[in-house]
Amino acid sequence: MSSVIDVPVGPQHPALKEPLNITCYVDGEQVVGAKLRIGYNHRGVEKAGEYQTYIQNLYIAERICGICGIVHAFDLAQATEHIIGKEIPRRADYLRTIGLELNRVHSHLLWLGVAAHEIGFDTLFMYVWRDREAVMDVIEEFTGNRVTYALMTIGGVRRDLPQEKAEKMLRVMDVLEEKVKKYKEMCLNERTIRMRCDGVGILREEDAIALCAVGPTTRASNVPFDVRADDPHAAYDEIPFKVITYDTCDVTARILVRIDETLESINIIREAVKKMPSGPIRVRLPRAVPAGEGVGRTEAPRGEVIHYLRSAGGERPFRWKVRAPTLANLLSIPVMLTSKGDYVVYIADVPIAFASIDPCLSCTDRAVKFVDVSSGKSWVWTFSQIKRMYWKDKPYWRERP
Amino acid sequence: MPIFREVLSTAPKRRATLLYPFERREVPSDYRGKIDINYSLCVGCGLCVKECPSQALELVTLPDGSKKPRYYLARCTFCAQCAESCPRNAIKSTQIYELATYNRRAEVVEPCGTSR
Amino acid sequence: MIRELIDILGTLLFPGFLFFAALGLFFEWIDRKFYAKLQNRVGPLYTGPWGLLQPLADFVKLMAKEDIVPEGVATPIFSSIPVFALALSLFATLFLPVCGPQGIVSFPGDVIVLAVVLTFLVILVFLAGLSSASRYPEVGSERAVLQLLGYEIPLVASVLGAAAVTIGLGGSLSIEGIVSAQQNWWGILGIQALGFAIFLLAAQAELERVPFDIPEAETEIVAGWATEYSGKKLAFLRLARDVELAFLCGLGATLFLGGPWPGPLVPGLGGVIASTILFVIKSIVVLLLLTVIRAAMSRLRIDQMVNFAWKYLVPLSIFQLLLAVVTPTMVRLLTL
Repeated sequence: MSSVIDVPVGPQHPALKEPLNITCYVDGEQVVGAKLRIGYNHRGVEKAGEYQTYIQNLYIAERICGICGIVHAFDLAQATEHIIGKEIPRRADYLRTIGLELNRVHSHLLWLGVAAHEIGFDTLFMYVWRDREAVMDVIEEFTGNRVTYALMTIGGVRRDLPQEKAEKMLRVMDVLEEKVKKYKEMCLNERTIRMRCDGVGILREEDAIALCAVGPTTRASNVPFDVRADDPHAAYDEIPFKVITYDTCDVTARILVRIDETLESINIIREAVKKMPSGPIRVRLPRAVPAGEGVGRTEAPRGEVIHYLRSAGGERPFRWKVRAPTLANLLSIPVMLTSKGDYVVYIADVPIAFASIDPCLSCTDRAVKFVDVSSGKSWVWTFSQIKRMYWKDKPYWRERP
Repeated sequence: MPIFREVLSTAPKRRATLLYPFERREVPSDYRGKIDINYSLCVGCGLCVKECPSQALELVTLPDGSKKPRYYLARCTFCAQCAESCPRNAIKSTQIYELATYNRRAEVVEPCGTSR
Repeated sequence: MIRELIDILGTLLFPGFLFFAALGLFFEWIDRKFYAKLQNRVGPLYTGPWGLLQPLADFVKLMAKEDIVPEGVATPIFSSIPVFALALSLFATLFLPVCGPQGIVSFPGDVIVLAVVLTFLVILVFLAGLSSASRYPEVGSERAVLQLLGYEIPLVASVLGAAAVTIGLGGSLSIEGIVSAQQNWWGILGIQALGFAIFLLAAQAELERVPFDIPEAETEIVAGWATEYSGKKLAFLRLARDVELAFLCGLGATLFLGGPWPGPLVPGLGGVIASTILFVIKSIVVLLLLTVIRAAMSRLRIDQMVNFAWKYLVPLSIFQLLLAVVTPTMVRLLTL
């Protein structure tokens, strides 16, 4: 009789913040295989979007995810502005960048606390979340709310950043930078954290490219894929920043990538405040959008978010498609959790390996099929097609036979 | 290990917890809380109703023939899009956020302040 | 007759079951408050003054909740384990000297009985996990037994080391003897410092607290071996765990910090009160050390824990035991 039993992780499990089902096949304490099932969080957002106007859809897009909501709103606004074809004021671009980077700081700090909780280190969890409160307060002063920022609108942003608020923001960022550096030292030097995270959840570089992983998951496997650098939007073309990669491909690398990205984001915010031009913050665009297609892309804290928008003229979109980064990263989970050769995965590694891709299943569960109503054709995007569309000109793209 | 020093040096510090509801934080002056409709400025154009993403505003016809919005507190997402869309600036965001109540009637704000 | 009545009342009330159950709840409160303080937050606050009644409130709440026994469990074992666990923990506390130089039960060799009782507690955990017909408890009880393999030798060795040191000074293999031999100096001085450190780590592993809460890892296997327990059974299991916490802190205070001394030097009722207060204070010192360890480390993996135990703790504890046996004899030989 085989001694392999299957331990289900989810849909309800303390290791998961959102429901999904990973069935781990275990032999004693070793995990020999994993199978994923998603879809527990499907809310029909894309369908609901077809019955609302573009402005209403911005607020719905914000609520796709609690942690990275502003990214979805930004992508939708970018896609709509792409269809309309008008440029937005430069100051609005800078304000949008500040909003996006503040979101990145708060999301990475949240993730660091959650990862510490997954390995049982509740003290670090409490400390990091206490420091995250400072960022939430800054966001509240800037946008008016801690979680659902409602900063974006079609044609610019809704709120301005006066000088005193900007200076207070920079003071808070200075204090935060010291604390984040201290956490980085703690993660590098603490024996118990290193013991739990080194060599765990390994995703080799070839696998990361083959499985289309995005975001810090793939940057920790030495693939320098960052939408802010590859496809500059908002104010990223004028603000210099580093794309951070590490090459150890394990959970420690992902922790370090995210902490370094937090420090980079603090620098980006400083640069943006310094270089912000004056001018209007929004341009009034007509409510009825002409027919056409538009794509909005940006780098969420978890990876690349793509929104595709199709308009048939009128006030409501014809089709709205969201591809969140976690959908791309989830495929690397079964690979990370399979013991092979001398790479052994224990049950204790499952939560931290899973949490290291920063799963956000609220972003993930969307419809996966495209239907072209006019020609009756329906198709599913294969990964090679998506890769070909977005990665073709990159140096790490390899054409498969 | 440095973590022991960090942990022991945190012990004498003051707590980071706020003992809500006995201690409250001040919200910023432009925090988006419950909205406040000035019914004398409102002309009943219905733009706020059209733009609300969660159908929290509904136009009702008052006995004197004018149309004013009824505000469903429980549906509001506090986005202030209505405040932005109103051509007469009749809607403003207040900073009230403590809106939980046991009374279901209190969740509907009727025009001109008369509740059923 | 009166003598027996006093003995029975002593066993049930003070310093027996009721006292140690209350002490267990009190220690849980101290643990939670200090843990919260180390994390820059408040612990329990509103139930009772400073949240003192929170552990009691948790116990009462669990007793009132619905007790669900899943289908397919071995009901006799499943239902009786919480009672056995509580009984065993309370039995172990009878040996601790609280209000005098000896506990309610005391005979030569009772140190060894305590070591056996601690092992039995883990066997109960193992049975609890296996009798629940579910995967998470199965994995949890496997891990509990693996963990026992790791820390049992260091725990027993440190306890015996405390006995061995005092044998050289005229003590004996009973707790009374160990405690009495610490009248003039506390066990922790000198070579016993290493023993105390090993005892702290091994006690942390016995109590299944971070960094050794592997059998009950919340984020990995829900609640480990206690997953299927609810209602009154869970209340008893948690009370047993609290009493075990009080017991191990008391044991540490007795073996290494001198127990209730110098309380018994005061005659009569004053002696009883002074001994109890000193005993509780010393146990609280041990508890605070355990809490600091809990706050500062993350959970280890089971293979890392067993690795660490067998590579470092076991050789150190055997070395410490040898040192404890040899040093007093050498000292006596040299001073002759």
